[in-house]
Amino acid sequence: MAKQGFSYTTALDGLHHYLSGFVALTKAEFNFLLPYIEIREFEKKVKVIREGEVERYLNIIVRGLVRKYLPIRGDEVITQLATEGHMVHSELSFNYRTPSGSVIETIEPTVFLSISYDSLEELYTRFPKAEKLGRLMITDLFIKKDYRYFDQLQKSTRERFLDYIRNHPQMVQRVPQKYIASYLNIKPETFSRLKHLMRPKK
Amino acid sequence: MSVYLDLTNEEFAFLSDKLVIRNFEKKEQLLKVGEVENYLNFLVKGLARKYFYKGKAEVITQIAREGEMISSSASFLSGSPSPYIVETIGPATFLSITRQQLESLYSSSPRIERLGRLIITRLFLQKEEWEHECIRLDTRQRFLHFVSNNPELMQRVPQKYLASYLNMKPETFSRMKHGVQKKTTGRTTLR
Repeated sequence: MAKQGFSYTTALDGLHHYLSGFVALTKAEFNFLLPYIEIREFEKKVKVIREGEVERYLNIIVRGLVRKYLPIRGDEVITQLATEGHMVHSELSFNYRTPSGSVIETIEPTVFLSISYDSLEELYTRFPKAEKLGRLMITDLFIKKDYRYFDQLQKSTRERFLDYIRNHPQMVQRVPQKYIASYLNIKPETFSRLKHLMRPKK
Repeated sequence: MSVYLDLTNEEFAFLSDKLVIRNFEKKEQLLKVGEVENYLNFLVKGLARKYFYKGKAEVITQIAREGEMISSSASFLSGSPSPYIVETIGPATFLSITRQQLESLYSSSPRIERLGRLIITRLFLQKEEWEHECIRLDTRQRFLHFVSNNPELMQRVPQKYLASYLNMKPETFSRMKHGVQKKTTGRTTLR
């Protein structure tokens, strides 16, 4: 069920381009990777992984929007908002093969290019360049996580809000505000109060 | 290193050839704010901490002991200026490798490339675990969790550092410490 305006060829070209941002891959090398990749499609508001399941996949979003959250005492704390070109998976569960504490749920209809844990391990042994690719992709995730952690600790609520809307204008359009508030660790009331800062200054 | 990958003696010799030993006095800074981190440091002896300034207050984000790595990792990996300071607590010895040396190791051996991937994955997952703990646990639970996992740091590290690391007021930390000590039973009892 191909989505409107979505083509697998474009998606795979996109993936080749994306991976080449980390390590240059020839067409032949990329074609070697392809059998390991699965295309997975989900409707909106579908749980891609539930709490307690073991994460099988590392996903790159081709199209759509998802959130990752920790269910805490009847509430949810959002730890990631991801869209086209982002990687998303329940990291601890995927790597340690333990039940996931996180839930990943689509916000919009979403298409992933995914690789399973077993396929990835096989790829690492059969395709040495994958080691470098893996290292650089994880390094990128690590750096992003470190910046986010630093911002949470060092910046004021107002600064976090302003930085986010400045750096992620398309997310502000697409993501329900309560999710952005949770991701930024800002109370919904405070978030509403800060919203007047979103209007562009004339 | 063997936690990650069984290295042959030759591989280990090749790797250690690129390492430098660095000794520091107590409270000496390995890296200042705004500098680019050039070293990945493995702590052989002593204690070190990583922190940044929020206004005039220090906020500690890592306390490392023997066998652990401590660097301004994001700066090391991205080449951008560090917002963190890395500083020894007592006199300390590190085995360090520069970015340049590390890159040359990676290109020389796919196995070391793999070692690098596994180490960075572990660092990444530790960060994720810490984030989950901060979300899931309240102040008291965080304290108890830390105490039961790091009994020797309670002895070796000044309380104000531990309090900062756990994002607690020093008074709260002190109160909880005494609360735990009063209990004579229970798995989190301090000695």
